[in-house]
Amino acid sequence: MGREVSESCIDSLLTEMVSSYCNHFYANKPELAARRIEAIGYQVGHQLSERYTMERPRFSDHLEAIKFICKDFWSELFKKQIDNLKTNHRGTFVLQDNRFRWLARMSLDPTADDAVPQDPSDFAESKAAQAMSMYLYFPCGIIRGALSNLGIPCAVSADISNLPACSFVVRIKA
Amino acid sequence: MQFFGGSDISPSPPAPTAPGNNAHMIYVFNRNGVCLLYKEWNRPLHTLNAQQDHKLMFGLLFSLKSLTAKMDPTSAEKGNLGVPQLPGQGCSFHSFRTNTYKLSFMETPSGIKIILVTHPKTGDLRDFLKYIYNLYVEYVVKNPLYTPGTPVSCELFNTALDQYVRSIA
Repeated sequence: MGREVSESCIDSLLTEMVSSYCNHFYANKPELAARRIEAIGYQVGHQLSERYTMERPRFSDHLEAIKFICKDFWSELFKKQIDNLKTNHRGTFVLQDNRFRWLARMSLDPTADDAVPQDPSDFAESKAAQAMSMYLYFPCGIIRGALSNLGIPCAVSADISNLPACSFVVRIKA
Repeated sequence: MQFFGGSDISPSPPAPTAPGNNAHMIYVFNRNGVCLLYKEWNRPLHTLNAQQDHKLMFGLLFSLKSLTAKMDPTSAEKGNLGVPQLPGQGCSFHSFRTNTYKLSFMETPSGIKIILVTHPKTGDLRDFLKYIYNLYVEYVVKNPLYTPGTPVSCELFNTALDQYVRSIA
């Protein structure tokens, strides 16, 4: 059994990583900060998938690899599996986690001016959504890195239109 | 003499209005005296404005803690006054009771003070206060969108706290 790290430490490290990239290194350039964070996630996902597929044979097709991500990979990372997997059978998969661990403790100020608007269609542009989405680039990178190590180049984005559930949309490049 | 009689003379404390509505208010202060959270469920009388009220409460607790430590008949040395210790260690008061309310207090080693004012018939609330501190750590301290040292306004914390306090018997 490998050595273990306290979960609070990991949570704090991720919070600080996003905060440093957004506020210090790329202070007014959120897109660059996002790309950098996603790149870090890519490296981490790459290495983690190497470690977790050590004993297994190669995956027969894309769906098997995605199922590996949903079950074993997610259990190793978050101690639970992906709750819902949808696909359009044309290279797009939606992985839905009903209670994403890294977002579980985030909550906003309900009385502030830029609080969560009631209308869901406004949510995407609100500052609240932007603040929360910075924390999702890292897991998106992890998924992208893991899949590319399994031979599946793809693009991953996150969707938080119904909190606390969080969906990751994986689009496989043809 | 009637003076030292029972509770017939003084106004009897207001019975809790509904089951699960025993708490009157809660204060949370940090080490520097900033009031991080003030919430009231049932407080008909407001004598001071909010600022003065918080300052009064903080000052009162500081003095009470100091007094109880100095008057301790069991300990030989003075100990470190003003240094927050683990709840249960050193000598710190944890509640006082009047005929109309009970005030329970807990201070953590990081200097966070939690004060809960309830109905006087409430029992020992130290475990409840520890749980409230847990809620604080989980939903406020670990919330990346919260700036430490500022008043708390996290929705998850507010809802969880509200639910929990209403369940205190």
